[in-house]
Order: sequence, then structure tokens, then C-alpha cells
Amino acid sequence: MSAARQMALPALRWRALRPRARWRESVLLGLLAVTLVVGSASLGATERALAGHPPTFAAADPRALSLYLGMLFAVHLAQVLAGRRTDQVLLPAVGMLGGIGLLLMQRLPQDLVSQQIFGRTLVLGQLQLAWLVLALAVIGGLAVAVRSDRWLRLYKYTWAAAGIALLLLTLILGVDVNGARLSLRLGPLTGQPSELLKVMLVIFLAGYLSENRQLLVEQDTRLGPIRLPPLPYLAPMVAMWATALGIVVIERDLGAALLFFAVFLLLLYVATGRTSAIVLGLILFAVGAVLAYQLVGHVRTRVDIWLDPFADPGGAGYQVVQALHAFARGGIVGTGLGGGLPMVGGRLPIPELHTDFPFAALGEELGLAGILAILGVYLVVIERGLRIAAAAADDFRAILAAGLSLVVGVQAFIIAAGNLKLIPLTGITLPFISYGGSSLLTNAVVVGLLLAISDKGVEPPPPPGSRRRLSPRRLTGLLQRGAGQ
Amino acid sequence: MIGGRPPQAVRRAAGRTVGRNVSRVGITLALAFAALAGGAGYWQVVRSTDLSTSPDDPAVISAVRHVPRGRILDRRGTVLASNKLDANKEPYRSYRDPVMSPVIGYASRQYGMAGLELAYDAQLAGLRRSDPVADMLTKFQAKRYAPQDITLSLSLQLQRAAVRGLGRDQGAVVMLDPRTGEVLALASTPTFNASALANPTTAAATWKALNDDKSDPLLPRATLGRYVPGSVMKIVTAIAAFRSGSITKDTTYEQQPAAEKTGLLVSGYRVRDGHHLFTGDKALDFIEATEVSCNIYFALTGLRTGGAEIDAAARKLGFYAPIPFDLPTAPSQLTNGGGPLPGGFLDRVELANAAYGQAETNVTPLQMALVAAAVANDGVLMKPHLVRSLHGADGTQTVAPETWATVLPFNDAAVIKSAMQRAVEGQYGRLFTTGAKVPGISTAGKTGTAQLGGSGEPNSWFIGFAPVEQPRIAIAVVVAHGGGGGARAAPLGGDLMKLFFDTEANR
Repeated sequence: MSAARQMALPALRWRALRPRARWRESVLLGLLAVTLVVGSASLGATERALAGHPPTFAAADPRALSLYLGMLFAVHLAQVLAGRRTDQVLLPAVGMLGGIGLLLMQRLPQDLVSQQIFGRTLVLGQLQLAWLVLALAVIGGLAVAVRSDRWLRLYKYTWAAAGIALLLLTLILGVDVNGARLSLRLGPLTGQPSELLKVMLVIFLAGYLSENRQLLVEQDTRLGPIRLPPLPYLAPMVAMWATALGIVVIERDLGAALLFFAVFLLLLYVATGRTSAIVLGLILFAVGAVLAYQLVGHVRTRVDIWLDPFADPGGAGYQVVQALHAFARGGIVGTGLGGGLPMVGGRLPIPELHTDFPFAALGEELGLAGILAILGVYLVVIERGLRIAAAAADDFRAILAAGLSLVVGVQAFIIAAGNLKLIPLTGITLPFISYGGSSLLTNAVVVGLLLAISDKGVEPPPPPGSRRRLSPRRLTGLLQRGAGQ
Repeated sequence: MIGGRPPQAVRRAAGRTVGRNVSRVGITLALAFAALAGGAGYWQVVRSTDLSTSPDDPAVISAVRHVPRGRILDRRGTVLASNKLDANKEPYRSYRDPVMSPVIGYASRQYGMAGLELAYDAQLAGLRRSDPVADMLTKFQAKRYAPQDITLSLSLQLQRAAVRGLGRDQGAVVMLDPRTGEVLALASTPTFNASALANPTTAAATWKALNDDKSDPLLPRATLGRYVPGSVMKIVTAIAAFRSGSITKDTTYEQQPAAEKTGLLVSGYRVRDGHHLFTGDKALDFIEATEVSCNIYFALTGLRTGGAEIDAAARKLGFYAPIPFDLPTAPSQLTNGGGPLPGGFLDRVELANAAYGQAETNVTPLQMALVAAAVANDGVLMKPHLVRSLHGADGTQTVAPETWATVLPFNDAAVIKSAMQRAVEGQYGRLFTTGAKVPGISTAGKTGTAQLGGSGEPNSWFIGFAPVEQPRIAIAVVVAHGGGGGARAAPLGGDLMKLFFDTEANR
């Protein structure tokens, strides 16, 4: 098949181009395009009907949708032309989620967000489209360009340090939004560094855990009948736990803390297979949760709202109650895109809908059927990521891939469960769907790296013998070698 | 670049593979997502109907908010409550005159509803609440709501005059047609600006100011305010006495003239009077006692009639229960109750004092207007009402007058009528009831000066009706701390009745 493909494109054959067909991805992207065009047409028809015009079937915003689909196919084509043998399901799955998010952002009141960029004012739908296009570029760029993992593998402490630096920078220079200090301002743009932090954390953990895996698995600390991992290696767990608590207390970012700790625990299990580590982690979590509940006001508020949002449906519990009403209005089949979310006083029924509650909005407009489909697509993303992990060439890549897919999966779970009142609500984004540049770009990095790891043509990992600690001497050597090249 | 052993060997060298752990983590995550699906199913299927049709649901609120409420008109068709559109093209309420606020209340997005807006919300909003199933089926129809206009029996002109007359004082005026129970004025001061409360841009500040206001403008005093009645209560005692037959119009008490000087001794308590100067040593009959408002006469009448009979008459007039009316009302009372005497009086002192409107008597202005109306209408009490008719897409619905109770035989009512006429027009009555007389029209009435204890000015009361022969208007006026009944309430009552005859009576 690839031979035929190569013969069909002789003109394009030069040194960098070794085209290789990706039929599965092509077909899936085709299906995705049809789905999104139908969705956009349905949105367009509803909007015209609500405006009092006869409902005709035409896409709501054909140019935006074409640009998005075009970018998806461009990423596909880039990989085809570069002959990459990366995973073929991930891009369409992520593209589906991004497309649903785009339709939702086009459907919401556009003045929810507006930003001056290069003298032009962009509003919600346009901004989301811009970020999605950038994100797809990042995915394509990483999938095509990353041919080696050394820059991740060797500098794990650098990545960790960069992550901590980012955290501190946010703390010192950050801007307060809704009582939480999560944003950094950079010119006209504000970003949430904690989004990027999670990727750095995973890279560090992958390096650390793969390097020390042998020790963690084979040695024990006996504590009566309980066998725990060796004591010195418990230090990172406690450090991680303390950091998570710190994020809760200082940055007031419950969601990020929960995400970091959960991903850390799951990765520890992936690396060691030790149930005792998980149990210990859960005990630490319980202690931390009780401490936070007792000592930190906003944690207590969140938990109390979660326990009984209907106690104060117009005040503290407003967001959560409104989200539940939105799910209820949706029912099984939903109101259709554009048909739900009744405006009250010119405002959406749920505050912060575009970032924190797109899941509830989709629950109303696409119904239970749509919700199940979206959950299914997330599971596909997770499954592909874990599959890449299981098939990875070595522990570093396996743990890295597992960590990256867990970051997406756990984050989706935390916010969706918060929307559904299964757990206390925390203000984190729904990956690929929520509005926001930081979230979209970070998740694009995640997907791009996953694709790169999945590539069968990527540089093989170094032999186990070379996995030494990075000493200053070795670092100097590496740097010199890098400079020499 | 290409290092030593192939990947397979690398993984084996690391001991157990991570693959098994990865798949377990995958299963965990899949289970977590199954829980999400379960949660979505719970809210979207199990709880779907009750949440999405509750009045708290924004879809319901939004639908209601996009439909303008029905208008409210006075008896002449003047629009009292209408709608304006805000920046989002959503309607909000606008009211013609603050004098109507204690009756009409308000409908505010932020602060809910009060008054007629609340009582007639279903009709004004056009909600069909009686049939929730049909309500659900019409959810997606374009014209789901059919708001109705409401015409009141109130006269904007009388209401304005009443509020102007009460001025800066706290008080209330109730005017009604004794033949039909139609209420023409239901004034309460201070009033408030309901439009500012309904306007979304000024609502918050207005709400705060109103709630901080010590004079409590949001209290509709005519229906929910309770006042010590003083001598106007003597009419209730008279009704009870005639009902039970304990007195006739010729009844006199031989100890009464002597007691005027020192006070009537009841179980160690002295009931005092202030009219000895005029009446001297003559033993007064019922009509004379009413004319000069003799406390001792009515205290003795109360004692003779007994707590049980007074209690029964009062209940017949509407005491001790909310009055069946378009607005919520506070129950009026003769006593706090719980005492050993019939009717719940503590002792003979309390009974004697209650008989002339002191002790623990507490009444609403509306209740006292009904007392006057019952006498005026020859003992037949009509059900009071504010709403004359409702106009909607389905046509007009008119509220018919309704008899509530017959409290007195015709002849006894005639005696009390003539006594009340003497209280306004009589030789001495004129002195007590200054200015209540409507020029050229026979007028009946009774003042009240309710002592409140302490050094505060008494409550000034007047109840009355005119013309005496064929009463067309009954009135109750109370001015809190207004001084003597004759000084403040009676002249206002007279002016308002005159205005009624000058304007409304001929229409």
C-alpha cells in the first residue's frame, strides 16, 4: 500500500519526504468532518429559527469550521508526507473533542470573552478557533519533528526545576482571578502555567521512576506486617503530597492539586505495581483532605456545597445547582446545539460556563446520548495513550506515555465529575473542549508527545547501561557535545 | 546512536513489565468513566423532570420573564402597573404612583413579589399552574403564557388623597362600599417607590434603603398593621350587646353618673371618663353614651354582656382569623387569650377595658372598616374585595359581591347607626368628632383615642359611613400617635368621604 502511495506521489519525493499513507486516520477524519458539518448545520438551523427566520440547513460558521477541518487534515497530511508511523486514532479522537468544543464556543454569546490581538478584537468563537489551530500546529509539529526523547530523558531535573520556577513565578507575579492566583500575564495574553506544569511533572516523574524503578520494586521497608517501598524513595511521594497541599493552600487551586496527586499515585503504581504505595498515597490524601477541610476556608466551602448544593441554590450552590438543572433539561436526547442554555437577564444560566461547565452545557444540548459519546471519545484517547505506553520501547517512554494519557483522562474525570456532583467542583478545564489557550496548547503538547512516542521510527532508547545519574561532569560533557555538533 | 540491545531485552531487564500495571490503571479509569455515565444518567433521566420543570429552573424563569405581565388598572381604567423593556429587551414592572405600592406591592426579578403582584401572580404572568402535565406539553410552544389584565375597585384619586392626608404620619385609611364590599381606598403610610424596586438597575439600592428604613415602608399597614383601637371598639361591644340582648337602646346604669367623678371601680381598677362636664349627673342611655363616648357605660355593658358574647360577635365580624381578602391580612384580637374568663379574658378588669378598646385589643384598619360597613349595611357584612374583573385572551371575568356574614338584626343595626350619627352630628358629638361631617350629607361615625401607655401620643382613630340612610361609603382611619381621634383622624375621614361624594359617588 505504501509503495503504491509512494509511486503516486513521485514529484514530492525529496530527501525529507517519504510519504506513507495513513488510511485509518484518513477514514476517521472523514467521519469526523461529516459529524462536525452536521453538527454545525444543526446549530445554524436552530440559531436561524430562534432569530425568527425559516430554519434552513447551512453550517453556522462555515469558514471557521473549514479552517478547523483544514488544519486537522493538514496535520494528517504532514504526517503522511513525513512518513510518520504514529498512532492513527489519537488525532481524530482529539479532533472530535476539539470540534465539539469549537461548536459550543461558537454557540455561546460571543462577548463572553474578547481580546485585542494585533489591533483586532477577537471574540470567544474566533479565539477558540485560533487556539485550536495553534494547538493542531503544535500537535503536528511535535508528531513530525520529535525524533528523539533525549531532551526529555536527560533533563528531568531541569524540567522539574522549570516547573517549580513556573509555580513560584505565578505565585509572585500572578494575577488573581476569582480568588485564585493561577494566571500569568504576558503582554495581551494571560496564561495558566499550572496547565504546563502538569506536563513537566509527568516528564520528571517518567525520568525519576524509570531510573529508580528497579530499586522501588525490589527493596522494601518493613513496617510491621506492611511492606512499603524503600524509605528514601518515599521522600518524593511526601514531597509531592506537600506540594499538592501547598497548591491548595497558597494558590487555592483544588483541581490542579487533585490532578497532580492522582497522576503521581497512578504513575507510581504503573512503575512499581505496588498496591501498598497506592494505599499509603490514599491515606496521605485522606489526611490532607481532612486537614484542608478543617483549615482552609475555600476547601470547606467547596465540600459543603458539594454535600448539599440545594441548601443555598441562589447563593453558594448556584453554579452547581444550575449545572444540574442544565443536565436535567437536556434529558436523554438534549435540546440540540443552540436550543438550550436559557438566557436569564442577558446572562447564561451557569457562570464560567465556557471554562468550567462545558460538560454541563453539552449535557443540556446533546443530552445523555451526547454525554455518553463524549465520555466514549475520552476513553478512546485514554486507551490509545495507555496502548502507546504498553507498547513503548522502554520504561521511560512507557511511564511518560502513561502519564500523559493519565493527565488528560484524570483531568477530564475531575471536572466532569465535579459538574455532575459526584465529587466537589474544582475549577479546571475539560481537556480539548473548554475555552482557553493554556489548556488547549498544553493538551496539544500532550497529544503531540504521545504521537511522537508512538512512532515506530523514532530514535530507540539508549541501552540500560547508559542510564546513569546526570552528574555535573556528564552534563558538561553533554553540553559540549551538543555545542560541538 | 543505535545502542546495544533491542527494546524487548530492555524491558525484560527491568524486571516485571509495566504493561500489566498500565492495563490495570486503564481499567480503573474506565470504571471511573462508567461512574460518570451513571451520574449523567441519574441527573438526565431520573431527576430530569422534577428539576427542569421546577420554578427555579432558568428555562421556566426565562420563559416567564420574556412575557410581559398583565397590567393593573384602577376603577376608572387608569393604568397603575405596566411594563418597560430593559437593555436585554426583557420586560420589567413600572408603577404609576407610590400611593398604590402598599396594595399592588411589587414584582422584582431580584427580590420577588409582594402585594397583589404576588397574590395574582398566576393570572398576571399567565401561568397555568392547575395542570402541570399540560404545562409541560406547552413548554415548547411559542405562546405558552396568556397574561391577564386586572381591574381594581380602588380609586387612584381617593388613594392619593388619603396618603396626602396622612402626610408624614404612619397610618392607614380603608374606604369601602358597604353594599358590595368593594374597596375604594387602602392607603398606608409611609409608601415606597415600587418602580425603583422593579427596575433592575435601581432595585438593589432601593431594596437596601427600604429594609434599613426604621419606619418600615414595606409593611402594608391597612391589612397587616395592628393598632390599639380605643373607643372605636365600642361599636364592636355594642354589636355584641345587641346581638345578645343584654342591652336595649334605653338601657341606663344607675351607678354611672356618680362614677364619672371618681371613676368606676372594677375589681380594684378605676375606669375613668372625661365627659362629666357636659353630661352632669344624668344617667346616659345607649345613644347618649355613644355620643359622648362614655367609657364607664361601655365597660358596664361589656361586663353585663360577658366575654363569651363579645368574643362570638367579634369572631362573626372577622376577628381572630385572616380576613378572606385579595391580600394577606393580620388577625385582629380582643385579648391575648389564655385567661379563665369566657372569651379568654384574664379577669373582669381586662374585659371592662377591652369593651372600650384598651387592654390587649389589637385591630387592623381593614377590620375596623368592616365593623363600620357591617353597621352601615344594616348588619350584613359583605366580603371585602379589591379586584373587580380580570381580562385575558379567554375573555373577561367579573368578581361579584358576596355576603360574608349577617352580624346584626336590621333594627339593632339601625339603633347603632343612629347612635353613630349622633356621635358625629349631635350636640356633644360634634365636639368629640370634629370635622367628620360631610357637608349636606348625613354622616355617622365614631372616634377613638387609644392610650398606648408611656408618654407617647395616642393613636387617633375614626370609623364611619355616609349617608346614614343609604350608606354608600364606609371608612376607617388610623393615625399612629396622631393624638385625639377628633383632632386628626375624624377630619381626615370627613374630607375623604366628601371627596368620595364629590367624585366617585356620581360616576
